[in-house]
Amino acid sequence: MSSETGSSLSTVWHRYKQFRNESYATPLLLGIIFGILIVLPALLEVSIAGYSLGTRVSLGMLIVTLVWAYTAQSWNIMSGFTGQFSFGHAAFFGLGAYGTILLVSNYSINPWIGMLVGAVLAALYGLLIGVLCFRYDLRGHYFALATLAFAELLRFIINNIGALGGASGFIKPLPREYADGPGLLAFQFSTDLPYYYVILAFLLIVTTVAFVIRNSRFGLYLFAIREDENAAAAVGIPTFKYKLSAVAISAFFTAWAGAFWAMYFDTIRPDTVFDLLINVEILLPAIVGGLGTVIGPILGSFIVTPLSEIARQSLDLPGTDRIVYGLLLVLIVLYSPKGVVSWPKRLADLLGWQDSPTDEDAVDETHN
Amino acid sequence: MVSTSILAVSSHLSPGIVATAVGVPLQSGTTIVQLLVFALLLGGIYGLVALGLTMIFGVMDVINFAHGALMVLAMYIVWSLSSASGLTPLVFIPIAVVALFGVGILIHHFTIAPIMEAPQENQLIVTFGVMLILISSIEIAFSPNPRSYNIDLGSVGAAGVFIPEGQLYALVISITAVIGMWLFLQRTQLGRAIRGTADNRSGAKFVGINIKRIDYLTFGLGAALAGLAGAAIPLIQRFDPYIGDVYLINAFVIVVLGGLGSFPGALLGGMIIGFVQVFGQFYLPGSVYQVMIFMIFILVLLLRPEGLLGGKRT
Repeated sequence: MSSETGSSLSTVWHRYKQFRNESYATPLLLGIIFGILIVLPALLEVSIAGYSLGTRVSLGMLIVTLVWAYTAQSWNIMSGFTGQFSFGHAAFFGLGAYGTILLVSNYSINPWIGMLVGAVLAALYGLLIGVLCFRYDLRGHYFALATLAFAELLRFIINNIGALGGASGFIKPLPREYADGPGLLAFQFSTDLPYYYVILAFLLIVTTVAFVIRNSRFGLYLFAIREDENAAAAVGIPTFKYKLSAVAISAFFTAWAGAFWAMYFDTIRPDTVFDLLINVEILLPAIVGGLGTVIGPILGSFIVTPLSEIARQSLDLPGTDRIVYGLLLVLIVLYSPKGVVSWPKRLADLLGWQDSPTDEDAVDETHN
Repeated sequence: MVSTSILAVSSHLSPGIVATAVGVPLQSGTTIVQLLVFALLLGGIYGLVALGLTMIFGVMDVINFAHGALMVLAMYIVWSLSSASGLTPLVFIPIAVVALFGVGILIHHFTIAPIMEAPQENQLIVTFGVMLILISSIEIAFSPNPRSYNIDLGSVGAAGVFIPEGQLYALVISITAVIGMWLFLQRTQLGRAIRGTADNRSGAKFVGINIKRIDYLTFGLGAALAGLAGAAIPLIQRFDPYIGDVYLINAFVIVVLGGLGSFPGALLGGMIIGFVQVFGQFYLPGSVYQVMIFMIFILVLLLRPEGLLGGKRT
């Protein structure tokens, strides 16, 4: 029952609830989000009453935000959808970065090819991790620890092999050394704006993949594994095969972000691309936004990355961004484990707009 | 050791010691025996670190990512008190251990206890968040510059084997702590309750053990063990806010190696990794020993995923 004070806001909520249950709701919301993201760089320039967004937010910050939104979306396919919590996605990120930079530096092979090579390597490494861990039925935090060890293993291996650049890593070659000059083909640009649209295109691709998986039979199997693996196996879902597929897909796409990283920044070192913190930066937006949702990782990254960047810039202390990460991790897990996407519903519950708090028809945002 | 004589060593605390790993100051008289002593020492410290970690894991089924940060916190507590008072850091080690016990209880109360029933990953994420907050706060408060205890230590030598005094103290501390912990767990009622809870949580509840209270105690003790190991490490090397990372990662390898939740396994695993690291650092280039440590880890996962001394698997 709507309360007597049934304000117009309450009506808005009920409309929204209805809309959210439509099958076209998520694609439409995603369309709006991507529409905003396409014009966002132009909005930075617009000045309203002498105040422009560009004074607080730089294009570089937006690019980094999109990188982590992208990786969180990739991570989500394996960990959010399938429930195989990876704490070692830096392995795939780093393989993408190294595959790209090694081939372009040593053999002048186009970075786009390098990116695909890195992505295939990452998928293979993911399969190796998956086969070893799933064969012995490592689950929960056993699995999380194992993935972390596999990421750290790569870091130390590359640190110790001179031919792979050792601890000092690689400096990105100039575009003229392997292509006609900066441009899309060279994966290097003279300004930030094209980089922004490249990573936005990546995000669009992985979001589409995640959305299609979510709404397919394959996705249903993954969610079944997440909810109850034994029950899923009992009804005949080949869980081993599906878990491996999820790992491989997730690793493949995560490597793209590494490749982008290598071509966007000037240098890469094993201690930066395989860093312990990279594992966290990859998964944090998905956790903050909403585990297992398609919109969550994008929303999450637009909360996490600008917040930590702004905190670091305004306090001017190194480490402030990591304190922001830490606080977000603790607070979200303690108080809102379903993430930001569940907030409209929680707000409605709080203000008594729901017909009943346990209303079964209520939108469960985590299923979008 | 037959007769010990104090020898003045030209430089102490940091000869050739890198900030990220326990370094072995190599002197002319270095022999296999010397390496063995160092390995025993490092193994003891690793055992301490892993004991706290595996205890929290075994009893509460929580992977504590803040363990390394708690070590670092203890280092800075001892260092600050010692610098402020001018007294030797050794006096402040017990204070740091008690303080860390309190910090552990607080962390458990505010972050772990409310979500004990949540999925396993949630606790892992929360402790990682606590780690980031602790380490970055320490970094802001004390700067990232490497530091060392203000203590003048010579070295003890016998038959051509030299043991820097700091290493000797650290060895004594870790062996004492390991034995003390062992006696507590095996011989006291409370220790038995902790082991019982680790063995079978619901069973422990049925026989009247207050497992909530055991959780608090376990997390506090785990933190205190991390604190003791942390406070002892600067006796053998310089430290900075990030030094906990490498100990933490290796401690994870050790607890898996020994069997998650197995107390003797943690000690055995600590010794194995201590030996691999000390001999690997001496005979292999760069940080190849670290690659070996992870290879061992993967082999154990493959061949004996329940760990060397672990019996039960969940």
